[in-house]
Amino acid sequence: MSANNRARRTAAAFQNYAVLIVAALLMFAPIYYLLIGSLKPSSEVLNGFAGFLPTDLSLDNYVAVFRALSSDASGYFWQFMANSLLISIVVVVGGLLVNSLAGYAFSRLEWVGRDKVFILIILLVIVPFESVAIPLMALMQGQRDTLLVQMLPFIANAFSVFLFYTFFLNLPKSVEEAAHLDGLGAWGTFFRIVVPNAKPVFATVAILTFLSSWGQYLWPSLVTSDPAVRPLPLEMGVFSDREPADWGQVFAFGTLLVLPVLVVFLIFQRYFVQSVAGSAVKG
Amino acid sequence: MASPVSTAIPSSQLTVRKPRFRWRDTRDGVLMSAPAIIGLIAFVAVPFITAIVLSLYNVQADMAREPRFWGFTHYIRLFTDPILSGTFLRSLLNNLVFALVVIPVQTGLALVLAVLLNRKLRGMKFFRTFFFMPVVFPMALVAVIWRLILERGDDGLLNASVSVITGGLVPAHDWLGSSATALGSVILLSIWQGVGFQMVILLAALQEIPEERYEAARLDRANGWQQFRHITIPGIRNTLIFVTLLTTILAFRVYDQVYILIRTAGANEEATQTLLYTGTKAIFSENNLGRASAISVVLFVIIVIITLVQRGLLRQRSEG
Amino acid sequence: MTITRTMRRGMVAAVAFTATALLVTGCSAGGSGAAAGDGAGDIDVWALQGQDSENAALQAAVDGFNGSQSDVTAKLRLIASDTYTTTITSTPKDQLPDVLQIDGPTLASYVYNGKLTPISDHVSQETIDNATAGSIAEGTADGELYALAQFDSAMGLYGNKAMLDAAGVTYPTSIDTAWTAEEFETALSALSGSSPSGKALDLNEAGLAGEWGTYAFAPFVWSAGGNLLEDNTATGALDSAASVDALTQVAGWKPFVDSNADSKVFPDGRVALGIGGHWNYPTYSEALGDDLLVMPLPDFGTGAKAGAGSLTWGIGSGTQDGKAAGAFMDYLLNDESVTAMTQANGAPPATKSAFDADPLYKEGGPLALFGEQLANACASDDITDTCVAVYRPITAGYPTVTSQFSSALSAIWGGADPAKALGDAATSIDQNFADNDGYQQ
Repeated sequence: MSANNRARRTAAAFQNYAVLIVAALLMFAPIYYLLIGSLKPSSEVLNGFAGFLPTDLSLDNYVAVFRALSSDASGYFWQFMANSLLISIVVVVGGLLVNSLAGYAFSRLEWVGRDKVFILIILLVIVPFESVAIPLMALMQGQRDTLLVQMLPFIANAFSVFLFYTFFLNLPKSVEEAAHLDGLGAWGTFFRIVVPNAKPVFATVAILTFLSSWGQYLWPSLVTSDPAVRPLPLEMGVFSDREPADWGQVFAFGTLLVLPVLVVFLIFQRYFVQSVAGSAVKG
Repeated sequence: MASPVSTAIPSSQLTVRKPRFRWRDTRDGVLMSAPAIIGLIAFVAVPFITAIVLSLYNVQADMAREPRFWGFTHYIRLFTDPILSGTFLRSLLNNLVFALVVIPVQTGLALVLAVLLNRKLRGMKFFRTFFFMPVVFPMALVAVIWRLILERGDDGLLNASVSVITGGLVPAHDWLGSSATALGSVILLSIWQGVGFQMVILLAALQEIPEERYEAARLDRANGWQQFRHITIPGIRNTLIFVTLLTTILAFRVYDQVYILIRTAGANEEATQTLLYTGTKAIFSENNLGRASAISVVLFVIIVIITLVQRGLLRQRSEG
Repeated sequence: MTITRTMRRGMVAAVAFTATALLVTGCSAGGSGAAAGDGAGDIDVWALQGQDSENAALQAAVDGFNGSQSDVTAKLRLIASDTYTTTITSTPKDQLPDVLQIDGPTLASYVYNGKLTPISDHVSQETIDNATAGSIAEGTADGELYALAQFDSAMGLYGNKAMLDAAGVTYPTSIDTAWTAEEFETALSALSGSSPSGKALDLNEAGLAGEWGTYAFAPFVWSAGGNLLEDNTATGALDSAASVDALTQVAGWKPFVDSNADSKVFPDGRVALGIGGHWNYPTYSEALGDDLLVMPLPDFGTGAKAGAGSLTWGIGSGTQDGKAAGAFMDYLLNDESVTAMTQANGAPPATKSAFDADPLYKEGGPLALFGEQLANACASDDITDTCVAVYRPITAGYPTVTSQFSSALSAIWGGADPAKALGDAATSIDQNFADNDGYQQ
């Protein structure tokens, strides 16, 4: 019985692995295509199956990307990268602070008008940013071509507020009540008691905000034209529009665009996966 | 990835708790929520109200002429003008098809992957990493990679694969250009990018189900399917609802990939245009600020309606 | 490449303005705040960021101007091509620079918005007299001259002589002997039969939905006797039998067309024919050498036609020193500046003296046929059988016209019914014009 059982289990595990491997290969194929293409001459990238073969590898495409983006007129690659990083970091850090405070105020404090305001926040969650981009652009005309205009609209985020709200709602109240007895006010309780117990939701919001901020495309295309303040994804669009299209170089650019995020993801993936999932499940 | 939105508000949380208002709480509450509320009003509410106002005007983006009050003309045209309504309703239809395909397929795939990863075997984290990786790819990049994969000539990766698999029997197909496969192609690359996200959420929900329930079921000689049906699904019910709602709303916000594929990769415009694409096109290509605003407002109303309907259905089921 | 990029990006027409403020105050456009000034001080210059060589040529012109006199200092700002039009449109009149570059077809809408001032008072008569007919046609709106160009653009049909000969296909050697539509299709069929890829033509398919669609394919409509607009009305022109017929023919080429995703299908010798512009010439001639042929587009009935028009230069309506701006334009349009620029980008010069001296476009030059096309230029509301290069319609409603035309073109290319697609486009354009009172001031 037990030997039979073990055999059956091994077979099941084998089957499990087989399906997973096929799925992983399919999921990874486009990423592999990007990575290997970034190392190949352009003519071999778009060449049927040959696009998949690791032949003629070199870093030429990367060198070409840096060289193409190394003048005041075209802007500098590192400048775009720094802009993207700076914008994302400010939006993430500012967003964590602003939205967690609001989430806490809505979930734990009893204040006049709270429920009415919260309904408003929930309604704002479903307003697609794309649909307000045009009027917003008009309203922010004075800030055109600044880093600030690319940060400000994204710091306060209704969905983040909502994520914090649901998470805080599910935190056990007892600890906070003890803090109250110790004479800590709402602010003290929040920063000393709640924040340390809410790491997963902070991580979740940080990650989601970073990803959407890093990939911004429509908004910067509306409000920036100065290479000194433009972010990386937008420049990839400009770069892939060059004539004639050099797909090897475009892929090198794409790799450089996604690499920082990928590295961060691989380093932090444990927290990442736990937290994104954890707070969603609890929420 | 666009910032995800959710309306998965457990109904219990919306029922107004008996408030015990305290002066200090009010002061702190207002101060703590003020930065977010001010930001949301300035950068979402005010522009959105501006859009509602603009949608009632015949107004061009460059304001060359004085805006003229038009009442509901833009809305009436969107739904009844023989030509405009064609484009507009087709965009709406594309959004609906996108949602109707992506919700079951992407959630189903995510669930299958999550179940496979939930076995206590070595290397599961490794696989999870692979499935999640596309989530960190910006859509602008996803569109560029996939336009080469879907390239219509023999040199496209997909066409080359099909040709090898079928021994050259099937000729190269124009995946993005043909009206039959264009939307399917956009759906495919969107699922590729998004499935890992749902998978991770579902996986966490699976791991919350106590192992004892499965052990008890095995003692009752329940087979794998029965376990899945009677333990797994009920165990992750709330998460499934959350994921479904999330995907629905994201399906109505599809924009980046569609814009890039139509503008630079010859994707079939009629078959792939979405409401947001049609709205931004009205402003970019035709300066028509009034119409673009009207489309935004309609999109908002549609999302609200769908959310309410879904909430209603789900509540009914949970009560029934 | 500047031109392709601007055309591809399209007239990302216009956005923005201070919406709420304008709604409240109900401000109207028009009127010019331009002042002649004393011809001394600083002037701002905005230009579209092009290839490095173009940027360098422009900077050299600015430096040259600043060094040539001591009264005026010009300051150049380059703006990314994908947001250039958005930037100009969204900048209030009084903040626009003294001198700015403009994409030709968008000129009329800037004039309509009161963003430009007529230049005749500021630029010397000599400069105006030296402008090519095309430059004048492109820069004129409502009977006033608003802009002059350093260079124009030219396009046509490139051929690979070796491949044509191998397939036994005879080809046109002059504008008069352009292929007819039927001859062209026969040639395509023969060429794809003998080509390893089974394809015969590159027409930059990926750009059909953008400005390239209008620039390169409206010529077939014109050649067939159709038009985009007639008397500011699209119905009766864009949906005429001639226009429908033209695009039906074009859509019929699809089986012979390579999608050219790697941009190298023509220079690599995988297809024998390519519809392209002057900007393709350096790459093509390097790849094919003596095998490169330059031919007119096929004649669809009323003589071969071709697209034309490019970036041009105007003076902002808010300038406080029109005299200095005019002096800068004079310098920008002198032989030295124009030649430096056209050597940098290979474009046909838009001044008579530089054009006549240009080794590429003058008689006997490798692009002489393109030069001849431009020498026989006309506006799209005044097309004759003998004119070849046709400038796109000059109307403030152009953004709508080009958007509708290129959308219809790419739908037809994707298999839509040409009569319905063009009929719908015409109705939409007319509706837009009606909503805007025909774009009359």
